[in-house]
Amino acid sequence: MTSRPSRRLGVGLVAIAVLAVAAAPAAATAARAKKLKGTFELGAGSYFRMLQPAAAGGGYFSNPYSTDSDKTYTPVTAGEDGGIETGKLQPAPSPAFDAQGNSLANLIITPASFTGINFGLATVGTAPSISVKNGKLSGQLTGFTAEWNNQTFPQGSSAVKGTYNVETRKYVLTWKSLVSGGPFNGFTGDWHLQGKFKLPRVFPLSP
Amino acid sequence: MRAGTPRRWAAVALAVIGLALVAMPVVFDVFSRAPKGAQMIDAFAPFMTSSRLDGYHADMSAIGAAVKDAPQVAERLFGTPAGSAQPRLAAAYPSFATFEQKWRGIYPDMTEMIDTIQHNLGNYDAVAALPSFTLFPWFFVAPGVIILALIALGLTCPAWWRRLSWALAALGVALVLAPAVFQMFSRAPDGGRMMTAFKPIETRARVARIQGYFSDIAAGQGAVQLELIPALRRAGLSATEISASYPGLTRFDGDWIHILNDMTPLIGAMSNNVVNYDAVAALPPFALFPWFFVLPGLLVAGLGLAAVPRRSRDTDGAASTDIPHPITEGVT
Repeated sequence: MTSRPSRRLGVGLVAIAVLAVAAAPAAATAARAKKLKGTFELGAGSYFRMLQPAAAGGGYFSNPYSTDSDKTYTPVTAGEDGGIETGKLQPAPSPAFDAQGNSLANLIITPASFTGINFGLATVGTAPSISVKNGKLSGQLTGFTAEWNNQTFPQGSSAVKGTYNVETRKYVLTWKSLVSGGPFNGFTGDWHLQGKFKLPRVFPLSP
Repeated sequence: MRAGTPRRWAAVALAVIGLALVAMPVVFDVFSRAPKGAQMIDAFAPFMTSSRLDGYHADMSAIGAAVKDAPQVAERLFGTPAGSAQPRLAAAYPSFATFEQKWRGIYPDMTEMIDTIQHNLGNYDAVAALPSFTLFPWFFVAPGVIILALIALGLTCPAWWRRLSWALAALGVALVLAPAVFQMFSRAPDGGRMMTAFKPIETRARVARIQGYFSDIAAGQGAVQLELIPALRRAGLSATEISASYPGLTRFDGDWIHILNDMTPLIGAMSNNVVNYDAVAALPPFALFPWFFVLPGLLVAGLGLAAVPRRSRDTDGAASTDIPHPITEGVT
Protein backbone atom coordinates (compact mmCIF):
# COMPACT_ATOMS: atom_id res chain seq x y z
CA MET A 1 0.00 0.00 0.00
CA THR A 2 1.19 3.49 -0.95
CA SER A 3 0.66 6.54 1.16
CA ARG A 4 -1.09 9.63 -0.25
CA PRO A 5 1.96 11.95 -0.17
CA SER A 6 4.00 9.32 -1.98
CA ARG A 7 1.31 8.94 -4.64
CA ARG A 8 1.23 12.71 -5.13
CA LEU A 9 4.99 12.78 -5.48
CA GLY A 10 4.82 10.01 -8.06
CA VAL A 11 2.14 11.83 -10.09
CA GLY A 12 4.22 15.01 -9.95
CA LEU A 13 7.36 13.27 -11.18
CA VAL A 14 5.46 11.62 -14.04
CA ALA A 15 4.02 15.01 -15.02
CA ILE A 16 7.47 16.62 -15.04
CA ALA A 17 8.85 13.76 -17.11
CA VAL A 18 6.01 14.07 -19.66
CA LEU A 19 6.55 17.82 -19.95
CA ALA A 20 10.30 17.38 -20.33
CA VAL A 21 9.87 14.81 -23.11
CA ALA A 22 7.34 17.02 -24.87
CA ALA A 23 9.55 20.11 -24.66
CA ALA A 24 12.81 18.41 -25.66
CA PRO A 25 12.41 18.42 -29.49
CA ALA A 26 11.48 22.08 -29.51
CA ALA A 27 14.44 22.99 -27.34
CA ALA A 28 16.75 20.89 -29.47
CA THR A 29 15.49 22.53 -32.66
CA ALA A 30 16.00 25.98 -31.21
CA ALA A 31 19.54 25.21 -30.09
CA ARG A 32 20.80 23.35 -33.15
CA ALA A 33 22.88 25.35 -35.62
CA LYS A 34 21.85 24.86 -39.21
CA LYS A 35 24.31 25.13 -42.07
CA LEU A 36 23.20 27.50 -44.76
CA LYS A 37 23.91 26.12 -48.18
CA GLY A 38 23.39 28.59 -50.97
CA THR A 39 24.45 32.11 -51.88
CA PHE A 40 24.82 35.10 -49.63
CA GLU A 41 23.75 37.55 -52.31
CA LEU A 42 25.22 41.00 -51.97
CA GLY A 43 22.76 43.80 -51.63
CA ALA A 44 23.01 47.54 -51.15
CA GLY A 45 24.94 48.48 -48.05
CA SER A 46 27.72 45.93 -48.51
CA TYR A 47 31.13 47.51 -48.13
CA PHE A 48 34.79 47.15 -47.38
CA ARG A 49 36.95 49.40 -45.24
CA MET A 50 40.61 49.24 -44.40
CA LEU A 51 41.92 50.29 -41.03
CA GLN A 52 45.48 51.61 -41.07
CA PRO A 53 47.89 50.80 -38.26
CA ALA A 54 48.72 53.77 -36.04
CA ALA A 55 52.29 53.83 -37.37
CA ALA A 56 50.94 54.36 -40.89
CA GLY A 57 48.74 57.22 -39.82
CA GLY A 58 45.85 55.35 -38.20
CA GLY A 59 42.19 55.74 -39.07
CA TYR A 60 40.50 54.26 -42.09
CA PHE A 61 42.16 54.30 -45.48
CA SER A 62 40.47 56.79 -47.75
CA ASN A 63 39.78 55.37 -51.20
CA PRO A 64 39.26 58.35 -53.52
CA TYR A 65 37.59 56.12 -56.08
CA SER A 66 34.92 54.91 -53.68
CA THR A 67 31.41 55.60 -54.90
CA ASP A 68 30.35 56.43 -51.36
CA SER A 69 30.36 59.99 -50.10
CA ASP A 70 32.47 58.79 -47.18
CA LYS A 71 35.58 57.63 -48.99
CA THR A 72 36.62 55.35 -46.16
CA TYR A 73 33.77 53.06 -47.28
CA THR A 74 34.18 51.19 -50.55
CA PRO A 75 30.81 49.72 -51.56
CA VAL A 76 30.86 46.30 -53.19
CA THR A 77 28.20 45.03 -55.56
CA ALA A 78 27.24 41.54 -56.62
CA GLY A 79 29.33 39.71 -59.18
CA GLU A 80 28.28 37.03 -61.63
CA ASP A 81 27.44 34.51 -58.88
CA GLY A 82 25.53 37.12 -56.93
CA GLY A 83 27.71 36.89 -53.85
CA ILE A 84 29.47 34.36 -51.67
CA GLU A 85 28.49 30.75 -52.21
CA THR A 86 28.82 28.36 -49.30
CA GLY A 87 30.13 24.83 -49.75
CA LYS A 88 32.05 25.66 -52.92
CA LEU A 89 34.95 27.75 -54.08
CA GLN A 90 34.78 30.79 -56.31
CA PRO A 91 38.33 31.11 -57.57
CA ALA A 92 39.87 33.91 -59.55
CA PRO A 93 40.14 33.28 -63.28
CA SER A 94 43.40 32.67 -65.05
CA PRO A 95 44.91 35.14 -65.70
CA ALA A 96 43.68 36.80 -62.54
CA PHE A 97 44.70 40.33 -63.55
CA ASP A 98 44.80 42.50 -66.63
CA ALA A 99 47.91 44.38 -67.73
CA GLN A 100 47.24 47.24 -65.28
CA GLY A 101 46.81 44.95 -62.30
CA ASN A 102 43.02 45.17 -62.26
CA SER A 103 41.50 42.03 -60.77
CA LEU A 104 39.40 39.93 -63.13
CA ALA A 105 37.84 37.94 -60.27
CA ASN A 106 34.21 38.83 -60.84
CA LEU A 107 32.18 35.96 -59.39
CA ILE A 108 31.58 37.31 -55.89
CA ILE A 109 31.68 41.05 -56.59
CA THR A 110 31.96 43.22 -59.63
CA PRO A 111 35.57 44.39 -59.32
CA ALA A 112 35.62 47.85 -57.79
CA SER A 113 38.25 50.56 -57.93
CA PHE A 114 40.58 50.87 -55.02
CA THR A 115 42.93 53.82 -55.51
CA GLY A 116 42.48 53.51 -59.26
CA ILE A 117 43.00 49.76 -59.66
CA ASN A 118 40.08 47.35 -59.47
CA PHE A 119 40.00 44.76 -56.72
CA GLY A 120 38.05 41.54 -56.90
CA LEU A 121 37.22 38.77 -54.46
CA ALA A 122 37.67 35.02 -54.61
CA THR A 123 37.54 32.02 -52.31
CA VAL A 124 40.41 29.57 -52.37
CA GLY A 125 41.43 26.56 -50.29
CA THR A 126 38.59 25.94 -47.88
CA ALA A 127 35.04 26.48 -49.08
CA PRO A 128 32.96 28.94 -47.04
CA SER A 129 30.76 27.46 -44.36
CA ILE A 130 28.18 29.50 -42.45
CA SER A 131 25.54 28.37 -39.99
CA VAL A 132 22.55 29.98 -38.36
CA LYS A 133 21.40 29.48 -34.80
CA ASN A 134 18.70 31.52 -33.15
CA GLY A 135 18.97 34.15 -35.88
CA LYS A 136 22.71 34.54 -35.42
CA LEU A 137 25.19 33.68 -38.14
CA SER A 138 28.57 32.15 -37.50
CA GLY A 139 31.11 30.26 -39.54
CA GLN A 140 34.29 30.53 -41.52
CA LEU A 141 35.41 32.31 -44.64
CA THR A 142 39.05 31.36 -44.29
CA GLY A 143 39.59 31.07 -48.02
CA PHE A 144 38.32 34.59 -48.75
CA THR A 145 40.89 36.63 -50.67
CA ALA A 146 41.03 40.11 -52.12
CA GLU A 147 42.86 40.47 -55.42
CA TRP A 148 44.41 43.78 -56.37
CA ASN A 149 47.35 45.12 -58.34
CA ASN A 150 48.72 41.69 -59.27
CA GLN A 151 48.63 40.61 -55.64
CA THR A 152 46.43 38.38 -53.53
CA PHE A 153 45.57 39.36 -49.96
CA PRO A 154 44.10 36.71 -47.66
CA GLN A 155 41.15 38.45 -46.07
CA GLY A 156 39.31 35.53 -44.57
CA SER A 157 38.22 34.81 -41.07
CA SER A 158 37.45 31.72 -39.08
CA ALA A 159 34.92 33.67 -37.04
CA VAL A 160 32.50 35.57 -39.23
CA LYS A 161 29.44 36.83 -37.43
CA GLY A 162 26.10 38.20 -38.39
CA THR A 163 22.36 38.02 -38.26
CA TYR A 164 19.82 36.14 -40.31
CA ASN A 165 16.08 36.45 -40.59
CA VAL A 166 14.59 33.06 -41.39
CA GLU A 167 11.39 34.60 -42.71
CA THR A 168 12.86 37.18 -45.07
CA ARG A 169 16.24 35.45 -45.55
CA LYS A 170 17.86 38.85 -45.08
CA TYR A 171 21.31 38.67 -43.60
CA VAL A 172 24.19 40.78 -42.36
CA LEU A 173 27.65 39.24 -42.28
CA THR A 174 30.69 40.97 -40.78
CA TRP A 175 34.28 40.18 -39.98
CA LYS A 176 37.68 41.76 -39.70
CA SER A 177 40.88 40.41 -41.13
CA LEU A 178 44.41 41.54 -40.40
CA VAL A 179 46.60 41.78 -43.48
CA SER A 180 49.80 39.88 -42.87
CA GLY A 181 52.64 40.65 -45.26
CA GLY A 182 52.81 42.68 -48.42
CA PRO A 183 52.28 46.38 -48.95
CA PHE A 184 49.33 46.50 -46.53
CA ASN A 185 50.96 44.51 -43.78
CA GLY A 186 49.38 45.44 -40.46
CA PHE A 187 46.27 46.93 -42.04
CA THR A 188 42.90 45.43 -41.12
CA GLY A 189 40.21 44.68 -43.65
CA ASP A 190 36.75 45.42 -42.28
CA TRP A 191 34.07 43.60 -44.24
CA HIS A 192 30.35 44.17 -44.03
CA LEU A 193 28.14 42.22 -46.40
CA GLN A 194 24.39 42.27 -46.43
CA GLY A 195 21.57 41.22 -48.67
CA LYS A 196 19.45 38.16 -49.07
CA PHE A 197 20.39 34.52 -48.73
CA LYS A 198 19.44 32.50 -51.76
CA LEU A 199 18.86 28.76 -51.57
CA PRO A 200 20.43 26.66 -54.30
CA ARG A 201 18.21 26.05 -57.27
CA VAL A 202 16.66 22.55 -57.11
CA PHE A 203 16.25 20.95 -60.49
CA PRO A 204 13.22 18.62 -60.81
CA LEU A 205 14.00 15.03 -61.57
CA SER A 206 13.33 14.14 -65.18
CA PRO A 207 10.34 11.84 -65.65
CA MET B 1 106.69 8.12 -30.77
CA ARG B 2 105.57 5.11 -32.68
CA ALA B 3 105.28 5.13 -36.41
CA GLY B 4 101.81 5.83 -37.79
CA THR B 5 100.34 7.78 -34.87
CA PRO B 6 100.10 11.55 -34.49
CA ARG B 7 100.83 13.81 -31.58
CA ARG B 8 98.00 13.56 -29.13
CA TRP B 9 97.69 17.32 -28.56
CA ALA B 10 97.44 18.00 -32.29
CA ALA B 11 94.71 15.42 -32.74
CA VAL B 12 92.82 16.73 -29.73
CA ALA B 13 93.11 20.33 -30.98
CA LEU B 14 91.86 19.28 -34.40
CA ALA B 15 88.91 17.52 -32.82
CA VAL B 16 88.11 20.66 -30.84
CA ILE B 17 88.24 22.76 -33.99
CA GLY B 18 86.04 20.25 -35.78
CA LEU B 19 83.51 20.38 -32.97
CA ALA B 20 83.69 24.18 -32.91
CA LEU B 21 83.03 24.38 -36.64
CA VAL B 22 80.02 22.10 -36.27
CA ALA B 23 78.76 24.01 -33.23
CA MET B 24 79.33 27.53 -34.57
CA PRO B 25 76.25 27.70 -36.86
CA VAL B 26 74.14 26.40 -34.00
CA VAL B 27 75.58 28.90 -31.50
CA PHE B 28 75.02 31.84 -33.88
CA ASP B 29 71.66 30.47 -35.01
CA VAL B 30 72.94 30.48 -38.57
CA PHE B 31 70.62 27.65 -39.62
CA SER B 32 67.55 29.83 -39.19
CA ARG B 33 69.12 33.24 -39.88
CA ALA B 34 71.09 32.48 -43.02
CA PRO B 35 68.10 31.23 -45.07
CA LYS B 36 66.32 34.45 -44.12
CA GLY B 37 69.25 36.32 -45.60
CA ALA B 38 68.84 34.29 -48.76
CA GLN B 39 65.14 35.15 -48.81
CA MET B 40 65.92 38.84 -48.39
CA ILE B 41 68.48 38.85 -51.19
CA ASP B 42 66.02 37.05 -53.49
CA ALA B 43 63.10 39.29 -52.53
CA PHE B 44 64.98 42.48 -53.34
CA ALA B 45 66.49 41.16 -56.57
CA PRO B 46 63.71 42.53 -58.84
CA PHE B 47 64.17 46.03 -57.42
CA MET B 48 67.95 46.17 -57.27
CA THR B 49 68.69 47.36 -60.75
CA SER B 50 69.67 50.84 -61.87
CA SER B 51 66.75 51.07 -64.28
CA ARG B 52 64.21 50.04 -61.66
CA LEU B 53 65.57 52.48 -59.09
CA ASP B 54 65.74 55.23 -61.69
CA GLY B 55 62.09 54.42 -62.28
CA TYR B 56 61.30 55.08 -58.61
CA HIS B 57 63.02 58.44 -58.86
CA ALA B 58 60.93 59.12 -61.97
CA ASP B 59 57.79 58.17 -60.01
CA MET B 60 58.69 60.64 -57.28
CA SER B 61 59.37 63.27 -59.89
CA ALA B 62 55.99 62.60 -61.55
CA ILE B 63 54.16 63.01 -58.25
CA GLY B 64 56.11 66.14 -57.36
CA ALA B 65 55.38 67.67 -60.77
CA ALA B 66 51.68 67.73 -59.93
CA VAL B 67 52.40 69.62 -56.73
CA LYS B 68 54.52 72.13 -58.67
CA ASP B 69 51.58 72.80 -60.99
CA ALA B 70 49.28 73.59 -58.07
CA PRO B 71 49.85 77.41 -58.00
CA GLN B 72 49.01 77.68 -61.72
CA VAL B 73 45.95 75.49 -61.27
CA ALA B 74 44.86 77.70 -58.38
CA GLU B 75 45.29 80.82 -60.49
CA ARG B 76 43.30 79.29 -63.31
CA LEU B 77 40.45 78.19 -61.07
CA PHE B 78 40.42 81.06 -58.59
CA GLY B 79 42.10 83.98 -60.40
CA THR B 80 45.17 86.00 -59.59
CA PRO B 81 47.14 86.63 -57.52
CA ALA B 82 48.35 83.13 -56.71
CA GLY B 83 48.76 84.15 -53.08
CA SER B 84 45.03 84.44 -52.57
CA ALA B 85 44.08 81.75 -55.08
CA GLN B 86 45.96 78.97 -53.36
CA PRO B 87 44.13 79.18 -50.04
CA ARG B 88 40.91 79.08 -52.03
CA LEU B 89 42.12 76.01 -53.90
CA ALA B 90 42.97 74.40 -50.56
CA ALA B 91 39.54 75.22 -49.19
CA ALA B 92 37.76 73.90 -52.27
CA TYR B 93 39.90 70.77 -52.61
CA PRO B 94 41.05 69.80 -49.13
CA SER B 95 42.19 66.31 -50.20
CA PHE B 96 44.65 67.81 -52.64
CA ALA B 97 45.72 70.47 -50.13
CA THR B 98 46.42 67.80 -47.52
CA PHE B 99 48.42 65.79 -50.03
CA GLU B 100 50.34 68.91 -51.13
CA GLN B 101 51.26 69.67 -47.56
CA LYS B 102 52.26 66.07 -46.73
CA TRP B 103 54.26 65.78 -49.93
CA ARG B 104 56.77 68.25 -48.49
CA GLY B 105 57.74 65.56 -45.98
CA ILE B 106 57.18 62.54 -48.20
CA TYR B 107 59.41 63.63 -51.08
CA PRO B 108 62.69 64.09 -49.18
CA ASP B 109 62.11 60.95 -47.13
CA MET B 110 61.30 58.75 -50.13
CA THR B 111 64.07 60.26 -52.26
CA GLU B 112 66.60 59.72 -49.51
CA MET B 113 65.47 56.11 -49.18
CA ILE B 114 65.71 55.43 -52.92
CA ASP B 115 69.11 57.17 -53.02
CA THR B 116 70.33 54.97 -50.19
CA ILE B 117 69.17 51.84 -51.97
CA GLN B 118 70.71 53.07 -55.22
CA HIS B 119 74.06 53.84 -53.61
CA ASN B 120 74.13 50.29 -52.31
CA LEU B 121 73.48 48.59 -55.62
CA GLY B 122 77.12 47.53 -55.88
CA ASN B 123 77.12 46.27 -52.31
CA TYR B 124 73.94 44.32 -52.96
CA ASP B 125 75.41 42.80 -56.12
CA ALA B 126 78.50 41.78 -54.16
CA VAL B 127 76.42 39.98 -51.55
CA ALA B 128 74.18 38.42 -54.18
CA ALA B 129 77.29 37.08 -55.92
CA LEU B 130 78.35 35.21 -52.80
CA PRO B 131 77.25 31.60 -52.47
CA SER B 132 73.65 31.41 -51.27
CA PHE B 133 73.17 32.33 -47.62
CA THR B 134 71.33 29.04 -47.23
CA LEU B 135 74.64 27.23 -47.70
CA PHE B 136 76.49 29.29 -45.10
CA PRO B 137 76.00 27.03 -42.10
CA TRP B 138 77.15 24.06 -44.15
CA PHE B 139 80.40 25.82 -44.98
CA PHE B 140 81.23 25.37 -41.30
CA VAL B 141 79.46 22.13 -40.54
CA ALA B 142 80.86 20.23 -43.52
CA PRO B 143 84.56 20.89 -42.76
CA GLY B 144 83.89 20.28 -39.07
CA VAL B 145 82.31 16.92 -39.81
CA ILE B 146 85.12 16.01 -42.21
CA ILE B 147 87.74 16.85 -39.56
CA LEU B 148 85.96 14.77 -36.95
CA ALA B 149 85.45 11.92 -39.40
CA LEU B 150 89.15 11.91 -40.36
CA ILE B 151 90.19 11.84 -36.71
CA ALA B 152 87.75 9.05 -36.01
CA LEU B 153 89.14 7.17 -38.98
CA GLY B 154 92.67 7.70 -37.68
CA LEU B 155 91.73 6.32 -34.31
CA THR B 156 90.20 3.29 -35.94
CA CYS B 157 93.02 2.74 -38.42
CA PRO B 158 96.24 4.16 -36.91
CA ALA B 159 98.25 3.06 -39.94
CA TRP B 160 96.43 5.71 -41.95
CA TRP B 161 97.40 8.64 -39.70
CA ARG B 162 100.10 9.94 -42.02
CA ARG B 163 97.74 10.19 -44.99
CA LEU B 164 94.91 11.49 -42.82
CA SER B 165 97.12 14.19 -41.37
CA TRP B 166 97.98 15.39 -44.85
CA ALA B 167 94.29 15.33 -45.74
CA LEU B 168 93.57 17.49 -42.70
CA ALA B 169 96.32 19.89 -43.69
CA ALA B 170 94.84 20.07 -47.20
CA LEU B 171 91.40 20.73 -45.76
CA GLY B 172 92.86 23.57 -43.73
CA VAL B 173 94.42 25.06 -46.84
CA ALA B 174 91.06 24.76 -48.62
CA LEU B 175 89.39 26.66 -45.79
CA VAL B 176 92.03 29.38 -46.00
CA LEU B 177 91.57 29.67 -49.75
CA ALA B 178 87.74 29.54 -49.77
CA PRO B 179 87.20 33.24 -48.94
CA ALA B 180 89.65 34.23 -51.65
CA VAL B 181 87.94 31.94 -54.16
CA PHE B 182 84.54 33.42 -53.33
CA GLN B 183 86.00 36.96 -53.16
CA MET B 184 84.73 37.23 -49.63
CA PHE B 185 87.39 39.70 -48.59
CA SER B 186 85.79 42.35 -50.78
CA ARG B 187 82.20 41.12 -51.00
CA ALA B 188 81.57 40.47 -47.31
CA PRO B 189 82.55 43.99 -46.20
CA ASP B 190 80.37 45.32 -49.05
CA GLY B 191 77.53 43.30 -47.56
CA GLY B 192 78.31 44.79 -44.19
CA ARG B 193 78.08 48.29 -45.65
CA MET B 194 74.73 47.44 -47.25
CA MET B 195 73.39 46.12 -43.97
CA THR B 196 74.48 49.31 -42.21
CA ALA B 197 72.92 51.50 -44.90
CA PHE B 198 69.64 49.58 -44.80
CA LYS B 199 69.41 49.67 -41.02
CA PRO B 200 67.25 52.81 -40.90
CA ILE B 201 65.17 51.58 -43.86
CA GLU B 202 64.32 48.01 -42.96
CA THR B 203 62.48 48.78 -39.77
CA ARG B 204 58.83 48.19 -39.02
CA ALA B 205 58.34 51.88 -38.20
CA ARG B 206 59.91 53.11 -41.44
CA VAL B 207 57.92 50.64 -43.53
CA ALA B 208 54.71 51.69 -41.78
CA ARG B 209 55.55 55.31 -42.49
CA ILE B 210 55.94 54.51 -46.18
CA GLN B 211 52.64 52.63 -46.10
CA GLY B 212 51.14 55.82 -44.76
CA TYR B 213 52.72 57.76 -47.64
CA PHE B 214 51.01 55.42 -50.04
CA SER B 215 47.69 56.35 -48.54
CA ASP B 216 48.55 60.08 -48.75
CA ILE B 217 49.74 59.89 -52.35
CA ALA B 218 46.70 57.83 -53.38
CA ALA B 219 44.44 60.47 -51.88
CA GLY B 220 46.36 63.16 -53.77
CA GLN B 221 46.07 61.33 -57.07
CA GLY B 222 42.37 60.80 -56.49
CA ALA B 223 41.98 64.52 -55.93
CA VAL B 224 43.85 65.28 -59.16
CA GLN B 225 41.85 62.88 -61.30
CA LEU B 226 38.46 63.24 -59.69
CA GLU B 227 38.51 66.88 -58.61
CA LEU B 228 41.16 69.15 -60.14
CA ILE B 229 41.08 67.91 -63.71
CA PRO B 230 37.26 67.93 -63.82
CA ALA B 231 37.35 71.45 -62.33
CA LEU B 232 39.72 72.58 -65.09
CA ARG B 233 37.40 70.98 -67.63
CA ARG B 234 34.50 72.88 -66.13
CA ALA B 235 36.61 76.03 -66.38
CA GLY B 236 36.57 75.54 -70.13
CA LEU B 237 39.83 73.76 -70.82
CA SER B 238 40.01 70.78 -73.13
CA ALA B 239 42.03 67.68 -72.25
CA THR B 240 44.74 68.82 -74.67
CA GLU B 241 44.86 72.30 -73.12
CA ILE B 242 45.06 70.85 -69.63
CA SER B 243 47.90 68.59 -70.74
CA ALA B 244 49.75 71.51 -72.33
CA SER B 245 49.18 73.99 -69.50
CA TYR B 246 49.60 71.63 -66.55
CA PRO B 247 52.00 68.90 -67.66
CA GLY B 248 52.84 67.95 -64.08
CA LEU B 249 49.23 67.37 -63.16
CA THR B 250 48.66 65.36 -66.33
CA ARG B 251 51.82 63.35 -65.86
CA PHE B 252 50.94 62.36 -62.30
CA ASP B 253 47.48 61.34 -63.38
CA GLY B 254 48.68 59.49 -66.47
CA ASP B 255 51.50 57.68 -64.67
CA TRP B 256 49.45 56.76 -61.62
CA ILE B 257 48.71 53.14 -62.46
CA HIS B 258 52.33 52.62 -63.40
CA ILE B 259 53.38 54.24 -60.11
CA LEU B 260 51.04 51.95 -58.19
CA ASN B 261 52.30 48.90 -60.09
CA ASP B 262 55.83 50.02 -59.28
CA MET B 263 55.58 51.16 -55.68
CA THR B 264 53.35 48.59 -54.01
CA PRO B 265 55.59 45.57 -54.71
CA LEU B 266 58.56 47.50 -53.28
CA ILE B 267 56.61 48.40 -50.16
CA GLY B 268 55.54 44.76 -49.92
CA ALA B 269 59.11 43.51 -50.25
CA MET B 270 60.33 46.00 -47.66
CA SER B 271 57.56 44.99 -45.29
CA ASN B 272 58.05 41.27 -45.78
CA ASN B 273 61.77 41.49 -45.19
CA VAL B 274 61.97 43.41 -41.93
CA VAL B 275 62.16 40.08 -40.09
CA ASN B 276 64.71 38.72 -42.55
CA TYR B 277 66.85 41.84 -42.24
CA ASP B 278 66.79 41.57 -38.46
CA ALA B 279 67.86 37.93 -38.67
CA VAL B 280 70.82 38.75 -40.91
CA ALA B 281 71.75 41.78 -38.81
CA ALA B 282 71.90 39.49 -35.77
CA LEU B 283 74.62 37.41 -37.45
CA PRO B 284 78.24 38.30 -36.72
CA PRO B 285 79.45 41.29 -38.78
CA PHE B 286 79.86 40.49 -42.48
CA ALA B 287 83.45 41.75 -42.47
CA LEU B 288 84.39 38.89 -40.14
CA PHE B 289 82.98 36.21 -42.42
CA PRO B 290 86.18 35.48 -44.36
CA TRP B 291 88.10 35.18 -41.11
CA PHE B 292 85.70 32.51 -39.92
CA PHE B 293 87.23 30.40 -42.68
CA VAL B 294 90.78 31.66 -42.65
CA LEU B 295 91.48 31.29 -38.94
CA PRO B 296 90.13 27.75 -38.52
CA GLY B 297 91.74 26.91 -41.86
CA LEU B 298 95.17 28.06 -40.66
CA LEU B 299 94.72 26.14 -37.45
CA VAL B 300 93.58 22.99 -39.20
CA ALA B 301 96.39 23.21 -41.75
CA GLY B 302 98.99 23.81 -39.04
CA LEU B 303 97.69 21.15 -36.75
CA GLY B 304 97.31 18.74 -39.64
CA LEU B 305 100.97 19.20 -40.45
CA ALA B 306 101.90 18.93 -36.80
CA ALA B 307 99.93 15.75 -36.58
CA VAL B 308 101.88 14.06 -39.39
CA PRO B 309 103.74 11.23 -37.68
CA ARG B 310 107.49 11.72 -37.78
CA ARG B 311 109.29 8.52 -38.68
CA SER B 312 112.66 9.94 -37.68
CA ARG B 313 111.63 10.17 -34.05
CA ASP B 314 110.49 6.57 -33.93
CA THR B 315 113.96 5.34 -33.02
CA ASP B 316 115.29 8.07 -30.74
CA GLY B 317 113.50 6.84 -27.68
CA ALA B 318 111.88 10.23 -26.99
CA ALA B 319 108.98 10.31 -24.61
CA SER B 320 105.85 9.51 -26.53
CA THR B 321 102.89 11.87 -26.69
CA ASP B 322 101.15 9.65 -29.17
CA ILE B 323 97.56 8.67 -29.06
CA PRO B 324 97.54 5.11 -27.76
CA HIS B 325 96.20 2.52 -30.09
CA PRO B 326 92.79 1.70 -28.77
CA ILE B 327 93.20 -2.01 -29.30
CA THR B 328 96.84 -2.95 -28.88
CA GLU B 329 98.00 -0.50 -26.21
CA GLY B 330 97.34 -1.04 -22.56
CA VAL B 331 96.90 -4.74 -23.17
CA THR B 332 99.26 -6.86 -21.12
